Amino acid sequence: MTMKYLDKYPKNLAKSLWVLKPQWAVFKLFCKNIIHRPVTVLYPYEKEWVPENYRGRPGLRYDKCVGCGMCARMCPTACIKIVDSVDDEGKTVKRPQVNMGRCAMCGYCAEYCPVDAMTVTPEYEIAEYTRFDLLYGPRRLNYEGTTEGMEVKLEVTLPSDIANGNPERRVSLFDLDRPELIDSKCIGCKKCAKVCPVNAIEMVEKGTNEKTGKPILRPVIDNSKCICCSNCVDDCPKDALEIKEVL
Amino acid sequence: MVYTYDSILNFINFHTDVMSNAYYPFENFNLPYAVSYGLWEIIGGAIAWLINLIFPGNCVSEWLVSDGASTLFALIIFMLIVFIVVFVVTLISLWMERKFLGRMMDRRGTMVGMKGFLQCVADGLKTFMKENTIPGKVDRMTYMWTVSLVIGVSVLVCCMVPLSGRWYVVDYDTGLLIIMAFFALAPFFILVSGWAQNNKYSLIGGMRAAELMISYEVPMLIMIATTALLAGSFNIGDIVYAQNDTVWYLIPQIIGFITFFFCATAESERLPFDIAEAEAELVEGWQTEYAGMKWGLIMLADYFRGYVACAMVTIMYLGGWTLPFIGDGPIPEIVFLLKTWFVFFLMILVRAALARVRPDQILNIGWKVFMPLSVINLAVVLLLKVGGVF
Repeated sequence: MTMKYLDKYPKNLAKSLWVLKPQWAVFKLFCKNIIHRPVTVLYPYEKEWVPENYRGRPGLRYDKCVGCGMCARMCPTACIKIVDSVDDEGKTVKRPQVNMGRCAMCGYCAEYCPVDAMTVTPEYEIAEYTRFDLLYGPRRLNYEGTTEGMEVKLEVTLPSDIANGNPERRVSLFDLDRPELIDSKCIGCKKCAKVCPVNAIEMVEKGTNEKTGKPILRPVIDNSKCICCSNCVDDCPKDALEIKEVL
Repeated sequence: MVYTYDSILNFINFHTDVMSNAYYPFENFNLPYAVSYGLWEIIGGAIAWLINLIFPGNCVSEWLVSDGASTLFALIIFMLIVFIVVFVVTLISLWMERKFLGRMMDRRGTMVGMKGFLQCVADGLKTFMKENTIPGKVDRMTYMWTVSLVIGVSVLVCCMVPLSGRWYVVDYDTGLLIIMAFFALAPFFILVSGWAQNNKYSLIGGMRAAELMISYEVPMLIMIATTALLAGSFNIGDIVYAQNDTVWYLIPQIIGFITFFFCATAESERLPFDIAEAEAELVEGWQTEYAGMKWGLIMLADYFRGYVACAMVTIMYLGGWTLPFIGDGPIPEIVFLLKTWFVFFLMILVRAALARVRPDQILNIGWKVFMPLSVINLAVVLLLKVGGVF
């Protein structure tokens, strides 16, 4: 009877000293934290370090922006709207306006901006009291002190370059595609030249209409100026322009 | 009517010796009583002088500064002083627990004012401002009485712990037994309270408190008897001075110290033995239905009990308020409190390191580990006593 009772005890009593192990670990941590500081940060008073390319709220370099609307097109949450704004010279220009209540801070706008006017910023404290205050107009979106690290470059390596043994070469995505004219569809309405944000399209006279006697105009695209925003393609009333890969 | 002006100094006779009062309630010098007696001599003398200014030559002024009335009012101030000191000590323990536990978990702990000490005050004020709700289907009489008794017994027992040879409330020959008896009363009230709340979590918590008690109480009392046997007395002062004369009982009773430490942790219902109010399993255990101020006072009573448990360990094993080779020293109260806080620090360490035991494990530990260890401890002490070492 007694032996049966004693059998329930552990055979090696020293093994039950495992209890001391966590206590020693806790004591070591305690001594360490008495001398040093704990890992927690007192948030409103202290702030964690943020990297340069931290994807906080989107920022805009007002003067660099061309108003192409690429950011609004690429925004996955549709929080960017292109609005009219008055620039420093008094001209009315197109600039993006961001609704921070919908913004997902994904940084796509900065990634797809062909002129790197849209950037990511390290600002993350953007709480407001009303939803209206969350609307960031172009001027408010402007961020002073933009560094190079805040620009998000969009570059790809071409499969043909890899095949030719040159995998290091990076090509900007905006150099890959260019709009191309389908001559038979064009009616020469000059709309593409009007919507081009960088004035890359010039209407050139190509002969005279035999019936009316008016000149026949056709767009000529300056590939060095084009940023591939595809505004002309979208706005063409006769679908005479289309995007083609050129590189 | 003749106007006579009495100087205030006629009523404040600050030179009287406390012990010379005919109604002096203690046998030895008592520091908090002496302080409160002096305070009453100033306050009571000023009141008597004011009354005498308005009604010259009245009997109330004479009564206020008489021996009997002075003793009565001095005793009231004495109670306040003793309680306030214990209260502040407990608040410091509470602060220590929160701050140290934070550091042990690699965080900061409380941050409000004075290195986080004022957080305890803020929490206390918060609980006082809460609505005092009582659920509709509870057994009102037992519900209120049991919580009052739990808090009252805890406050009583922590006021009974002497801080030094001159700072005590009662100096009985059975002081240790009385303290442990009051200390062990709370689980009964917790059991009744758990039933009275008409809530399954509370009932389980109350049952667990009773189960916890039957598992640790017997080895704990055996170890108290062992200490008393070694010192030859149940009087706390005698136990402390016996350790001062020979050696701290930590050395002959090292097994007893470890076992008693864990028993005391269980007695004050602290982690890892807080199965009666296991937040993870039972909502708040037996305190589930208590709201606002009642809950705050229960929480405070928990820490009172923790303080008493640490004080008992200090008295029985760490030499109380004496230091080796020095004896009493100039401020034995501070020495005692420092030792108590050291034991409390060990309790915090255990709390931070170990997980809560299961209700069946605590029975196993109590009867199969603590009980044999306490008997071994008793045998060692008997051998030492018979061998004439002590």
